[in-house]
Amino acid sequence: MATTTSTPAAPGAIERLQPRSEGQWAVVFRRFRRHRLAMASLAILIIIFGASILAPWIAPFPRDDIGLNRTRLPPMSADPVTGQLHILGTDHLGRDFFTRVIYAARVSLMVAISVTTLVAIIGSILGLLSGFFGGWVDNTISRIMEFVATIPDLPILLILSAIMIQNADLIVLPTWIIGPVAWIMAVPNREATQVALLILVLASLGWVGVARLMRGMVLQVREMQYIESARALGGSNAWILIKHVFPNAFPPLIVAFTLGLNGALVSEVAISFLGFGVQDPTPTWGNMMGFATSYMFNHPWMPLIPGLPIFLCSLAFNFIGDGLRDALDPRLKL
Amino acid sequence: MTTYLVRRLIQMVIVTILSAMLGYSLLYLAPGGPLLFLQQMQNTGQRRVTEEDIARLKARYELDLYLPIRFTRWLAGFPAGPIQIGGVNLIPPDTVVGCAIPGQVRLRYPDGTVEIREEGCVRDVTLADLAERRTSRGILFGDFGLSQQIARDRPISDLLMSRLPYTIQLMGVSTLLAILIGVPIGIYSAVRQYSRFDYAMTGITFVGSSLPTLFMGVMAILIFSVLAKDAGLPYLPSGGVRGIRDYTIPWIGTVQAGSTLDRTLRFIMPCAVLTFFNIASWSRFIRSSMLEVLRQDYVRTARAKGVRERAVITKHALRNALIPFVTLLAGVLPTLVAGAAVTESVFNWPGMGRLLVDALGNSDYTVAMAILFISTVLVLIGYLISDILYTVVDPRIRLT
Repeated sequence: MATTTSTPAAPGAIERLQPRSEGQWAVVFRRFRRHRLAMASLAILIIIFGASILAPWIAPFPRDDIGLNRTRLPPMSADPVTGQLHILGTDHLGRDFFTRVIYAARVSLMVAISVTTLVAIIGSILGLLSGFFGGWVDNTISRIMEFVATIPDLPILLILSAIMIQNADLIVLPTWIIGPVAWIMAVPNREATQVALLILVLASLGWVGVARLMRGMVLQVREMQYIESARALGGSNAWILIKHVFPNAFPPLIVAFTLGLNGALVSEVAISFLGFGVQDPTPTWGNMMGFATSYMFNHPWMPLIPGLPIFLCSLAFNFIGDGLRDALDPRLKL
Repeated sequence: MTTYLVRRLIQMVIVTILSAMLGYSLLYLAPGGPLLFLQQMQNTGQRRVTEEDIARLKARYELDLYLPIRFTRWLAGFPAGPIQIGGVNLIPPDTVVGCAIPGQVRLRYPDGTVEIREEGCVRDVTLADLAERRTSRGILFGDFGLSQQIARDRPISDLLMSRLPYTIQLMGVSTLLAILIGVPIGIYSAVRQYSRFDYAMTGITFVGSSLPTLFMGVMAILIFSVLAKDAGLPYLPSGGVRGIRDYTIPWIGTVQAGSTLDRTLRFIMPCAVLTFFNIASWSRFIRSSMLEVLRQDYVRTARAKGVRERAVITKHALRNALIPFVTLLAGVLPTLVAGAAVTESVFNWPGMGRLLVDALGNSDYTVAMAILFISTVLVLIGYLISDILYTVVDPRIRLT
């Protein structure tokens, strides 16, 4: 191709003329950034999450430091003995609320994240298999899904976790589960059993939604022409499934993941609040709420201290999920 | 239709039995129970417990029977004694079905430790022995046996019936209110999509549905009971169904404990929290369903014909938008009975959800299982009803 102009354009000019190609995720991020509430939520979550990760370093007091001469102090009061400041006051046993809230954030958020991750993995594997292969695979998985979906959520969750937690001493979990859980949650090994059991209970019942979603997406994607061409090229089932079906069925999974985080957080909080989840010396927002509510008539600020983080995180997960939904697929907007 | 119904009913029975098996295996795996109580009495020295005591207690809760027999007796009350047809025994009545007193073998290890192991059987339970026992009719027929801890030895069905009215009252009123408020909001939001009202309502319902009921309940008590009372304003009592003694509320006067006013005041908060939480799902559902219908060709045709907007909305759009609504209605049925464990606990409301929590707290797993079983069956019935209602409201759908 001959150039008609005699003066060659500067290299920069050519680049500017071509539309800058933008990756799919860059587009998503640009759209997501426009959702102001979602961005604010992300910022709040990062702060809470950061505090929970740094809990062992920024906590001003030991986690279980009981002091019966300083019980139920209001926020911003000084310790009667050492004069140290209790930023959020103390609980019914005189333990520093700020310290416990950030340790609790670690447990509550990490439980939510691990449950949702497990749910996403189990759910998408079963959903992919069920939607892609059809036939008896689909039949078996669908019947199991129907059965699990029939059993009412909260009663079975409460019963399972009550039975598990009340007998946590009798259940021996392998160290390759306990070790990582204890490390991630920053709790001693003997407390990690309860947390691990709760994660397993929540995950074992939560995967149906994700599996259904993935199955539906795969059923759509499977009929697309690019799958047909991949098959014509001689692609194996596994290759088509991993390389073509999964990435195209992926976006709704991200939204489901964010909203699932909220579901798992709320379930953990409810179960621990009712006393069938993680038990006292290990702090979670749920069991702190349980104790705080019994003192709320004389100390009205007490339930706010674990309550506000629950409120903020719950709202934040929902806003981020909403923002992601808008960013990933504007048609999906409700 | 008939073949469809028959097939569905058979499926329902299979799922019911499966979930009963699941429930029973949980029950069986769960430690605790009446024997633990007896052990505690012995350990604390309150009473010497003899082998006979243990055998009697085991017989009472059927713990002396073999697992399959126990399961069928629990499920359907079978066998209730020797199995006879026309006076002839199908199986010899002295067939062993359990063991009342297990034989004990002392094992002495070389290092001096002694272990007592149960082996063999000193006294068997035979099929004929079962005839003398109180036999439950089986959970399939609504007999859930005796409560072990919460209300010692009272039939579980009594316990459930005493809690049921409270739950139905709370869940019924809040669901009804949520529908009555949520549906008009959803319709109006859809008709005026992207209006200020729509944005405000989607915002409020979004927050309402994302807040946990636990947080809303506690905040409600904090604001309307604790802070209002401290500020000398009229306040709402924080929980329970009726007060123990009379109390005075500013501007309203003295409220008699147990009066209608007292009960109403105590009902407001739990009902409001549940209603607020549920409005969101109803209004969102109707909004999206309505938006879908408003885009249809027949709505455009109706407008083109010159039908008044009001008639287009109510006659053409709304009636079609309500079709998927029946699927949601079916989901209401189980919640009417199972209740809301968290809200009922926060407000000390003595309904089924609270009973479940209490039962689990006292390791009374049979009560918990009964609640789980009933709500599972109701879910199944709900599915069936919604499928049938679907054919009624939408003649295009035929069940085969």
